Amino acid sequence: MIAEFILMNGYGLYVWSSFSVVLISCVALYLRTKKTLKKYENDFLIELQNLSAKEKNKVLENSKVAQHILAANTKIN
Amino acid sequence: MFKFFSFSNIYSLIQNLINFINSVFFLILIIGLTFALVFSPPDYVQGDSVRIMYVHVPAAWLGLACFALITLLSILNFIFKIKNFYFINKSIAPIGLLFTCLAIITGSLWGHPTWGTWWEWDARLTSMFVLMIFYVFYILAFKLLNEEELIIKISSIIAIVGSINLPIIKYSVEWWTTLHQPASIKIVGSSSIHSEMLLPLLVMLLVFLLYGALIFLMKYKTEIIRIKKKNLKRI
Repeated sequence: MIAEFILMNGYGLYVWSSFSVVLISCVALYLRTKKTLKKYENDFLIELQNLSAKEKNKVLENSKVAQHILAANTKIN
Repeated sequence: MFKFFSFSNIYSLIQNLINFINSVFFLILIIGLTFALVFSPPDYVQGDSVRIMYVHVPAAWLGLACFALITLLSILNFIFKIKNFYFINKSIAPIGLLFTCLAIITGSLWGHPTWGTWWEWDARLTSMFVLMIFYVFYILAFKLLNEEELIIKISSIIAIVGSINLPIIKYSVEWWTTLHQPASIKIVGSSSIHSEMLLPLLVMLLVFLLYGALIFLMKYKTEIIRIKKKNLKRI
């Protein structure tokens, strides 16, 4: 039964290749996108840390995005 | 109203949507794959090779839909100068390219056992290939050009010219004699696909939609961070 499922009456190679290509491509794009997002988040945090305490507070007061990134990163760490 | 569309509010919304998609995606994926590979019946002519439809058709539909959306937003950006559309388009384009490439590759894998050839320069296949080329040029405009105004202008021209190809893709199977079969699913009129095959197809379409939305949200989030980082000292 398992062999039947894998072979798919002789079409297994085409069917499994199609699903595999889709899966591999989608996973690759997801990982690449996630890596880029993480890199930009880290770069943003480094830039934020390089600001003076006064500037940093001002940014955190005025930017919800900065608050979110900082909060998410603190949670992870 | 406009305050709601500020980057800060959008950013929170994006995070919530990403969390939601992450929580339901794998469940829907497993349901879709089980239906597509196990429960759905083989076709009486094409046999089990018909299962390729469950990845080929959603990929092709979304490849076309992404380009249609890019064109619409490019036109709106031309008229109303809403910069946000530029970032949305930049985030959508790679997803559209991926889906178009996947439609071509899986179509080729489906074509070999069905038509006896991997590739034929017929109307449907060629027009899909042209769409892929337009996507490549569109993305290259963002990668190679530096000036934002110029990128908007060039990418919009590519999108608007490329959109001429969309009806050609849709009606190519009716206007010309092609190897590709005519549409089995119609929005207007009755579809010729059996419900036992339609259901898995719709579930797989949902899977592709959720995946596309997830990648779009992640890319859009990256764009927001990039802009905020650039303007950090100005905040």
